[in-house]
Amino acid sequence: MKNGAFVIFRKEMARFLGDKRLFFTTVILPGLMIFVMYNIMGTSLSDMVKDATDKEYDTYVVNMSSVAAETIETSGFSVHEIAVGESDSVTEKLKSKEADLLVVFPEDFDSVLANYSGKSEDVPAVEVYYNSANMSSSAAYSKITLVLDRVEQSVSNVFDINPDTENNVYDLATDEDTTGTMFASILPVLLLILIYSSCMAVAPESIAGEKERGTFAAMLLTPVPRGQIALGKVLALSLMALMGGISSCVGTILSMPALMGDTSEGSSGMSMSLTGYSAADYAGLIIIILSTVILFITIISVLSAYAKTVKEAATLVLPVMLIVMFAGFSSMYSSEAKAEIYWYLIPVLNSVQSLIGIFSRSADMLHIAVTVCMNIIVSALGMLLLRHMFNSEKIMFAR
Amino acid sequence: MKEVLKVEKLTKSFTLSKKQQKLENSDTRVKKAVSELSFSAYEGEIFGLLGPNGAGKTTTLRMLATLIKPDSGDAFIDGISVVKEPEKVRGKMGFLTSELKMEEFFTPNYLYDFFSDMHRIPNDIREKRKAQLFAKFGIDKFAEVRTANLSTGMKQKTSIVMSVVHDPDIIIFDEPTNGLDVITAKVVTDYLLELKAQGKTVILSTHIFSLVEKICDRVGIIIDGEMIMCGSIGELTKDKSLEDLFFDLYSQRKGENV
Repeated sequence: MKNGAFVIFRKEMARFLGDKRLFFTTVILPGLMIFVMYNIMGTSLSDMVKDATDKEYDTYVVNMSSVAAETIETSGFSVHEIAVGESDSVTEKLKSKEADLLVVFPEDFDSVLANYSGKSEDVPAVEVYYNSANMSSSAAYSKITLVLDRVEQSVSNVFDINPDTENNVYDLATDEDTTGTMFASILPVLLLILIYSSCMAVAPESIAGEKERGTFAAMLLTPVPRGQIALGKVLALSLMALMGGISSCVGTILSMPALMGDTSEGSSGMSMSLTGYSAADYAGLIIIILSTVILFITIISVLSAYAKTVKEAATLVLPVMLIVMFAGFSSMYSSEAKAEIYWYLIPVLNSVQSLIGIFSRSADMLHIAVTVCMNIIVSALGMLLLRHMFNSEKIMFAR
Repeated sequence: MKEVLKVEKLTKSFTLSKKQQKLENSDTRVKKAVSELSFSAYEGEIFGLLGPNGAGKTTTLRMLATLIKPDSGDAFIDGISVVKEPEKVRGKMGFLTSELKMEEFFTPNYLYDFFSDMHRIPNDIREKRKAQLFAKFGIDKFAEVRTANLSTGMKQKTSIVMSVVHDPDIIIFDEPTNGLDVITAKVVTDYLLELKAQGKTVILSTHIFSLVEKICDRVGIIIDGEMIMCGSIGELTKDKSLEDLFFDLYSQRKGENV
């Protein structure tokens, strides 16, 4: 003899684990898709950066300055010096995307620089023509402006800032700090959206779907109290969503280095690793995710119980997704968790703040405890509401 | 005979949506589906409920099954109130209606175990009863086939078995032979008689007069949510057939010839 909630839980899990297609699309596919997509995005971005670094831009120069010549030639520009009269044909080439840049120095550029008095009216103008519709030309333009900036600084050098550009000795942040800040601004929003998406994938089908198909009423005819049916459903759906959420999180975390450009393989990005977090950080992360999953499942279950069909449920849960996204995006504007306790009393926002704290390695156990308690309290209230809804003939048998 | 079911002045109204109001051609938003309905059913008896569509039969059965609550009145199964102790009533009552469906993903075998767990049937009793019921309805042959892949008849047999996993004292059947072929319909009809022979109380709602005349001990005729006539088949059909009696009552009530 078993508790009714356990019987419902077991049935829901049997349905979920027994349906290979459902299991694949809910658990395996999201993580796999995220991993593949982020890796493709990361690889494409790296390739673009690599192309921009390695490529020699086809550059035509009129009146090449002897002051700037060496810097330009050694900065990845394939320079063709031309006469003033050839400018028009080069601009045609730029328009037809056959050339990347046309740089026009004034005829007396070097002598003006040599006699520069410091007055703004004496400043010579360098004209750079490019084609913004041509990615290569655009990248060349960005690069040449930096190069010319450097030339200008070297000519009028008054003081240097951080002259040791070879060794990064001025930024005192550790790799872990940098990674933490990066994770704290990106992962909370990603995690919340992925978890909510997982919850959306399972809850409407299980509650609104059973109502729609007429299989829910068969359960309501048994002596199992409606509260136990609600509890069994919420727990099973939470576990399913958690599996989907974990899969998505693993996919995200594994693809992070590729997406952000990891230094471990010699690229120019930063080192991305989760190894610097303590066991307490991981424990905090797990209970925050778990309580958030239960909260989301309860909210979606209530909305699904109210809906007459799965389609209607999907429509009802979508606005909540926007609230979750909005709350999640707040992490992108601050890499530090809020100190005031009231932030941790507001569902969803409290999870965001706690996640920021954990990822930035500044988690406060009190904040985590308040967040978990609030999520559990709101979920419990939601479950009471769900029980009430399961008891309501107007909701369960509405036509 | 022991009174197993006692229905006392059951009343139920529904609020109609504007769309429903249009469909029903009604001026008022509130529709009285069942009005002060009273009747009793006894141990070892099949009680038939007859009435046209919309008469309130299904609403009455759903109130007895505790799926919906009456506005007023009450019904008692073995003295237990459907209003005050619905969970206890659910343990003593089985309900079969076309509205209730089995989850198509699962096999009859899994569903039997699931509903047995929901009714907290001990394992030894469950297995013995499963073997008997599966053999009786021929479910053995498709016990491990997903319900989605079963024929209408197989699904109905499975639904009947699921509604009686807990060996209830009273079983309510709403149109149990609807859409079934003659062979499956006979299997169902025979089972109703078998339940009666076991001393169970069967409440049967149907449109089929011949079925009522053949297997019901007593019958109640409901029109517009009210019990117009209730008694034994013999008493009611002394000088005319049940069908003729029903149409006469209907014509009198509605003031129109059928």
